[in-house]
Amino acid sequence: MNIGKSVIIKGDLSGSEDLTIEGQVEGKIELRQNILTIGTNAKIKAQVFAKTVIVQGEVQGNVTATERVDIRDKGSVDGDLSAPRIAIADGAHFRGSIDMQKAGAKPADAARPAEAPRPAEAGKPVAAGSPTPVAAVR
Amino acid sequence: MPALFKWGGRKDASASVRPSPVAETPETLSTSKVLPRLLAALATVPSPVLMDLGPVVGGNIAFFGEQLACKIFVEDLFAEVERQAQAGTREGLGDVLLGRLDRPKGSLDGVLCWDLFDFLDKPTGQAIATRLVSLLRPGGVIYGFFGQASTELTQYTRFMVEGPNTMRLRTGPATPTKRSVILSRDLNRMFDGLAVAESVLLKNSSRETLFRKPF
Repeated sequence: MNIGKSVIIKGDLSGSEDLTIEGQVEGKIELRQNILTIGTNAKIKAQVFAKTVIVQGEVQGNVTATERVDIRDKGSVDGDLSAPRIAIADGAHFRGSIDMQKAGAKPADAARPAEAPRPAEAGKPVAAGSPTPVAAVR
Repeated sequence: MPALFKWGGRKDASASVRPSPVAETPETLSTSKVLPRLLAALATVPSPVLMDLGPVVGGNIAFFGEQLACKIFVEDLFAEVERQAQAGTREGLGDVLLGRLDRPKGSLDGVLCWDLFDFLDKPTGQAIATRLVSLLRPGGVIYGFFGQASTELTQYTRFMVEGPNTMRLRTGPATPTKRSVILSRDLNRMFDGLAVAESVLLKNSSRETLFRKPF
């Protein structure tokens, strides 16, 4: 499912399928069980929740993913990231905070000197979202 | 173009300067004696809060975020330094940078300065240092490189942590700036309230330093 670059959405956008956005969205984007791709032409001012978020355009807002956030080399994010895995390519812009623990990931011990191990954090189950059609364009 | 750092396995680091955000230059892989101390300090905190004053580096995010469970705040002050340098407005740089460090006191466990202070004049450097000291929790650390040679800086260095004691360095073009040299005694005064946990003078006359706030 694609949202073209001439499309402007203001409000909450949610769904149960993978989505690519090339337009503008202001509000909230929620694709809890799917992959959200923010295309190179996209301008997003929203709180973003998805299973995986791939950023190739511009995002102003917090991004939360249950699996992974991937900011590509043309991507730009001003906001907080929360995901167990976060990849940021050379050339990408990012300003904000990065939290890889909130989603329940366990830190590896490879870089730590010999210390008492941290208590393991149980992985949090992903809440099942009810199937909701993508919000209509206003 | 001389290499900025000469410790560890030094390779020819002559840079080919391009106007791209990350110029492709030969990288230098280097060994650090101070980095392990930084990591050890962060490892004593269950979920350390770390501020990176350099450009976002994916490998560093993975290293500090995944392996040390850090929450990381990225505030690329170098971009601001370059922006002001290009605009010829260095006089206002201090206020701009302080605005980027507007956080609750005692909220950080670590700060990665890299070689930021080389690019700041002394009053701005002092203001930033004072602010950073106030942001540290007791036991918190500041890690940085402070050049001791009075030369013109024409490159920024991107520091990429690869392991517990290794870093890869990549340089990119910078608007020429005279390096601000801070001697050891002045460094201690600048970061008043912190103790020097480790300091190594590198072959390229840069001082790799770890400061720690007493408990």
